[in-house]
Amino acid sequence: MKLIMIKYAELTTKKDNRNYFINTLVKNIESALFEFDPIIEKDYFRMFVKVDESVLDECVLRLTKVFGIHEVTIASFIEDKSIDSICSKAKNLICSGVSFKVETNRSDKTYQINSMDVSRTVGGYLLKNVSNLKVDVHSPEVHLNIEIRKEGVYLYKNGLKGSGGYPTGTLGKAVLMLSGGIDSVVAGYLTMKRGVKLDFLYFESLPHTSLEARKKVVELASVLKKYGNDGKLYVVPFTKIQESIYRDLDNQYMITIMRRMMYRIAEKFAKKNKSLAIVNGESIGQVASQTLTSIRVVNDVTNYPIIRPLASFDKLEIMDIARKIGSYDISILPYEDCCTIFVPTHPVINPNIEHVYSEEKKFDFSLIDEAIDNIFSVDLEKDEKDDYL
Amino acid sequence: MIYLDYSATTPVLEEVLDSYVKVTRDFIGNANSLHNLGVKSKDLMLKATRQVASCLGCEFNEIIYTSGASESNSTAIKGVAFKYQSRGKHIITSKLEHKSVLETMDFLESKGFEITYVPLLKDGSVNLVELEKLIREDTILVSIAAVNSEVGYKAPLKTIRQVINKKNKKVIFHSDMTQALGKCKFSLKDVDLASFSSHKIYAPKGLGVLYKRSSLEIEPLIYGLTDNCPYRGGTPALPLIVSFAKALRIATETMEFNIKKVEKLKNMLENGLKEAEIHVNSNNTCVPHIFNLSLLKIKSETFVRALEKENIFISTNTACSSLEASTILKALYDDKNINTTSIRISISPYTSESEINSFIDAFYRTYDSLLLKR
Repeated sequence: MKLIMIKYAELTTKKDNRNYFINTLVKNIESALFEFDPIIEKDYFRMFVKVDESVLDECVLRLTKVFGIHEVTIASFIEDKSIDSICSKAKNLICSGVSFKVETNRSDKTYQINSMDVSRTVGGYLLKNVSNLKVDVHSPEVHLNIEIRKEGVYLYKNGLKGSGGYPTGTLGKAVLMLSGGIDSVVAGYLTMKRGVKLDFLYFESLPHTSLEARKKVVELASVLKKYGNDGKLYVVPFTKIQESIYRDLDNQYMITIMRRMMYRIAEKFAKKNKSLAIVNGESIGQVASQTLTSIRVVNDVTNYPIIRPLASFDKLEIMDIARKIGSYDISILPYEDCCTIFVPTHPVINPNIEHVYSEEKKFDFSLIDEAIDNIFSVDLEKDEKDDYL
Repeated sequence: MIYLDYSATTPVLEEVLDSYVKVTRDFIGNANSLHNLGVKSKDLMLKATRQVASCLGCEFNEIIYTSGASESNSTAIKGVAFKYQSRGKHIITSKLEHKSVLETMDFLESKGFEITYVPLLKDGSVNLVELEKLIREDTILVSIAAVNSEVGYKAPLKTIRQVINKKNKKVIFHSDMTQALGKCKFSLKDVDLASFSSHKIYAPKGLGVLYKRSSLEIEPLIYGLTDNCPYRGGTPALPLIVSFAKALRIATETMEFNIKKVEKLKNMLENGLKEAEIHVNSNNTCVPHIFNLSLLKIKSETFVRALEKENIFISTNTACSSLEASTILKALYDDKNINTTSIRISISPYTSESEINSFIDAFYRTYDSLLLKR
C-alpha cells in the first residue's frame, strides 16, 4: 500500500460546517477512485488515501481532477520516530544533484528534538550522504517536509497541484445549458469548481442537427464527469420551436427570440429539477446575441439566477481552459448544433425589447410546454460498446 | 493435432470470435452512412481504432485499415514511391523481407525505380555500415522488416533510423512489423510507416493495419476515399476491426508474460533437438516464437508432409512462398544443403510443454525414417 496525502483547498476557510465539506470530498474521492478500493483517513487538516502501488500514478492523476484539493502528494510513513530512521527514509526520497530544503512540523510536542533541529540534522545528514546536493531555502527544487505526529512520522516532497475550489456538490445543483461548442463546457467546469453539481440541458433540432452533434455533447458531458460530476444529460426536442421562429417571426430577431425560448425552457426545467441556478457559456460581446443589450433582452424572460462564468473571459482564455480540461478537441468537431442552423445573415446586435414583445405575439407558447414534456435523458454511464472490445 | 505454424497464421481466440459474431449481428450499418445505424457503427469503429492506437503507441488518425499485411506493405511502398518519385527513385530494402515487399520492389524496378538490397551480416542482421553507404540524396524509402518471418531475426529499428537520419533526413522508413506484433517491443516513433496483420495475433483473417505518421502523405492504392477512410477506399470491415482491437488488447496485456513462456518452450525445443544432425538457423537475435533449422540431408517439403502424417503441422519457409528455396537463407549461406532444407517451427504462448515433447519425439522418428542413407 502507498500513501497519498491530500491538502484541502478553499474549504479550509470554513469553520462550523467544515466537516460537511470534508465529508463530501471523501465521497467524491471514493467515487473517483471507485475501482481501486482506496482506504481514506481524514482529519481536520488533511486527508490520507491508501492505494495499491500498481495504481498509484493513476490515482494521483485522478485526484488532481477532484475539486476541493489544493495539493496531492505521495507520502511515506514510518512508525519509528528516531532521528536515525527519519534520516535514512529522507535519504531514499531525495536524488543526487538537486537543491533542497527540509521543513519540519512537530505536532507531537513530546518529541524531544524541536523542529528546527530536526530539519538541521536531517539536512546535514543528506548533504553528507547524497552526492551533489545543495541547500536552497528560498526556491528549492525539492521541498522535503517532515511531520512528526503521535502515531509516527510522515515525510513528503512537493506534490502536484490539485484543481482547487470546493468539493462538487457542497454548494447545490444547477442546470448547464450545454451545446457542442467550446464555451459552455468550460463554463460548466468553472461552476463545478465552486462546488456546484450540474445537470446538463442540450437543445436539439433533429433532423436539422445530427446525432453526431448529440454524441459530441454526450462526450463533453463525460469530460465533466471526470471532474467528479455525476449529473445527467437532458435533451430538449427543440425542432418545432426553431422551425416556428424561422417561419413566422422577424428573421433578424431569430437568435434573440430563440435564446429567450431557451431561457424559458431552462427556467421551467430548473424549477422542476430542483436546480438553484442556470449556467451558460455567454461571454460579453462574443457574438450578436451576447452584447449587453442582447443579454438584457434575453434575460428579460426570467428572474432565475443566471450564472455566466465566462462573461468577462477572452475567447483565447476560454480555449486555454478547454485544452486543459480536454474538451477542446471534442468541441471543434465539425457538427452543426441548433445555434448554427437557421442563422440570419445580419442578426440584430441591439435588439429592441418592444419589437420582441410584438413579434412573440405570433408565437404559439404551447410549444414550450410540449418541449418540456418531451425532455428525455441520455445515459452518460457505461458505454455498452466496451463489451465488444 | 499439434499445431506449430503460428507464424503462418493463428487460430482465433474464443472471446475474439465472440466479438466478431456479435458485431456482425448487432452493427449492420455502414460506418460511412449518415443515419443512426451508420453513426453507431462509426462510433464503435472509432472506439476500436482508439484502442488499437493506444496499444500500438500512436494517434488514432494514424491507423489505416487494409485487407492484410500484404496490402499494407504494398500501400506503403507504392504509396511512397509514387508520391515522392519527383524527389528521387532510389529505394533500399533487404532480403529479410516478405514476398509482398520483395515483389512490390520488383514491380517498381520494372517501372524505372532503382532498388538496392542492403547486405546482411552473418548473424542475419542488417549491415549498418553498408546501409549508411547506400543512402543517397535521391533515396526516398528504406523498408526493413522488424522481425523476419522465416528465421525470426529482429532488426534494430532505432539504430537504422539513426543511420538514415545521419545521411538523409528526408528518407522515409517503412517497417513490416507483422511478425513483431505481440512478440516483441517496438516503438512506432522510429518509423514513418509500419504494416501489421490481424490473423497473426489470434484474430480473424482479412484485416491489416498500416500505421502512417500523421504528417506524412502517401498516394492511396485503393480509391473510393471517405472521411472515415481517407487513405484506403472501401466499407470499413467493422467486425474484423473490432475483433482485431480486442485481440490486440489481449496480446498487449499478456505480452511480457507470453514472451517468457515462449522462451521457455523454445529452450525446451532447442535442447531436445541437440542430438539431431541439423543446422540451427535461428540465433539469439531472433524472437523466441520462431525456430528455424535446416535438415541438411532431407528435403524440407518431404519432412513437412511426413510430420503431417503424425498430425503435426509446421512449415518449410513462409506459407506465402512454401515451394521456393529460402531467399533469406540463400542470402546468408552459400550452402545448398542449408538453404533448401530449412523448416520453421513457430511456437505460441498457447503451446503446451507436452506438445513440444511430442514434437521432439516425432522429429527424431521422422528424421530417422526419412534418412534412407547414412
